[in-house]
Amino acid sequence: MRRAIAQTLIVVRKELKDAFRDRRSIYSVLIGSLFGPVLVGFMMNAIADRQREVEDVTIPVVGMAHAPALMDWLRQQAGVTVIDGPAEPEAAVRDRKADVVVVIPEDYAKKFRASRPVELRIVSDGSRNTSRPRVQRVRSLLQRYNAEIASLRLMGRGISPAVVQPLQLQDLEVSSAQQRAAAILNFIPLFIVLAAFTGGMQIATDSTAGERERGSLEPLLVNPAPRGVIAAGKWLGAALSSMLSVFITTTLCVAMLQFIPLQDLGIRFRLGPGHVAGLLAGALPLCLLAPAIQTWLATFARSFKEAQSYMGFLIMVPMLPGVLSSVYPLASQPWMYPIPMLGHHLLLVDVLGGKAPSPLVFAASAAVTVLVAMALVRMITALLSRERIIFGR
Amino acid sequence: MIRVENLRKRFGAVTAVDGVSFVAPDGAVTGLLGPNGAGKTTTLRMLYGLMRPDAGRIHVDDVDAVADPQGAQARLGVLPDVSGLYPRLTAREHIHYFGELQGLSGQALRARADGLLALLDMQEVADRRTAGFSHGERTKVALARALVHDPRNVLLDEPTNGLDVMSTRTVRDIIRRLRAEGRTVVFSSHVMQEVSALCDHIIVIAHGHIVARGTPDELRAQTGHQNLEDAFVALAGLAPEAVE
Repeated sequence: MRRAIAQTLIVVRKELKDAFRDRRSIYSVLIGSLFGPVLVGFMMNAIADRQREVEDVTIPVVGMAHAPALMDWLRQQAGVTVIDGPAEPEAAVRDRKADVVVVIPEDYAKKFRASRPVELRIVSDGSRNTSRPRVQRVRSLLQRYNAEIASLRLMGRGISPAVVQPLQLQDLEVSSAQQRAAAILNFIPLFIVLAAFTGGMQIATDSTAGERERGSLEPLLVNPAPRGVIAAGKWLGAALSSMLSVFITTTLCVAMLQFIPLQDLGIRFRLGPGHVAGLLAGALPLCLLAPAIQTWLATFARSFKEAQSYMGFLIMVPMLPGVLSSVYPLASQPWMYPIPMLGHHLLLVDVLGGKAPSPLVFAASAAVTVLVAMALVRMITALLSRERIIFGR
Repeated sequence: MIRVENLRKRFGAVTAVDGVSFVAPDGAVTGLLGPNGAGKTTTLRMLYGLMRPDAGRIHVDDVDAVADPQGAQARLGVLPDVSGLYPRLTAREHIHYFGELQGLSGQALRARADGLLALLDMQEVADRRTAGFSHGERTKVALARALVHDPRNVLLDEPTNGLDVMSTRTVRDIIRRLRAEGRTVVFSSHVMQEVSALCDHIIVIAHGHIVARGTPDELRAQTGHQNLEDAFVALAGLAPEAVE
């Protein structure tokens, strides 16, 4: 037994040394682990920026002098700056020099005093998605001013403002910035699971299909080491690489969120080392299973190319729970947790949502995952004992 | 010493090896001679435990190689038909990897690797990655890793195939040296000159059967051809029942 362990470690060490001298496997580990964090950081920043832009709005106004009271009111609102509008408001908006321009007519003061409606123009381009939140904000500011003045006028005439408000509209925007940000947080489990697959992929294929294609499998198997040792060594090498990838992705994703002002997005919780620990506890067992599937498939494959195409299909499997749950929201049931891939996704989502399940659930998921991985290692061992696999088909 | 009795191996409808028996004694070079597809490689693969014979017995020294392939492998140094290397490992790392799998470690392994690199005249390229090696250099690395555990028995499958003159000479010198050290050497070839230059005993295989055996002189006498190549052609074409 001790000799078998020692021999397994010899194989692991050789496979890791070999792999980390290979640019392809370094790239596949790096790209696989950095893709998620970079994308999360990028998207979060974009949302935070846009949110800040909407709140800090600069309103170009043509004819400021006609409505000094309105200007004062606007300037008192948080994050609002009023500037002199362009001479040609419509042309300026059309040429994208301004997102929105407010035009105040000359007769503003006269009509206002007479309590007659004043025609206030908001010049905007409805085809531009990026300016829409800002236009919306200007419109709602003006509507609020409108409502305030109306109330004051009614009260001046002894009528309750409530009388003219049979309906009180409340906007419940479902794609608020918070929710967009939360949706991005939901990507993190997907990235972690993907890292478990990309991290070990190169070693899994190169050490099996690649080994046979190079003609080095036959000399290797002539050494007096049990096939189980060779299979376990190759699998463990891939698993360690997969773990490295998952570790980088997880810590970087969480670290990335430390630098992004989540509170600007209305997300109140902060991610910390506890979340990292929970995510790793959920995901690391998968780093034993994913490379086991990959090593088994690549051992079975007739060629390196065939192995690589299997890897391409395989990578879609872990994406299923994430993709399906966004289209068809699935309520997590206890029986789902021990199912590899699905359970891992749910565990990671729960941890990020701040409601980590009990250690028992983690243990159940890990136990099933490790058992399936062990079964696969036995299947790899059986394949490596077949003459057709050793000598090619 | 290697003893083979009545070895048989079928692939589907094709019988690749059919009743092969021979003894390869210590301190001698035994040559398996035969045209491509005669069953030489299959026979060797059964000897080094990667193929299971359908029938027959193999003993490497006192170890039953069919029942205990790993026990036999520990006593065998093998240069298989296809001896690929790891392009990103150095020559020395190849020797170390196989040495460790054979159970060597530490100073003993380092000394053994140094000795083999010197023996094969490879000190200059020892710490270079094998990616750019010539065919001769690759064969030497494969030979060195096969011999790292100082095996009593050595199996070489077409070791000089495709080698240039200098590398061929090095390999031949190694084979003579192994014989002088009292080891059992079995090597296969389809090249007559190769076999006649090195072998004490020749076993001619055709269509999975042994069609002739003996020293080069005995084979010449048996066929009546003075030229060994003519003898080979005559033997390889013989039906098995015509012999013995």
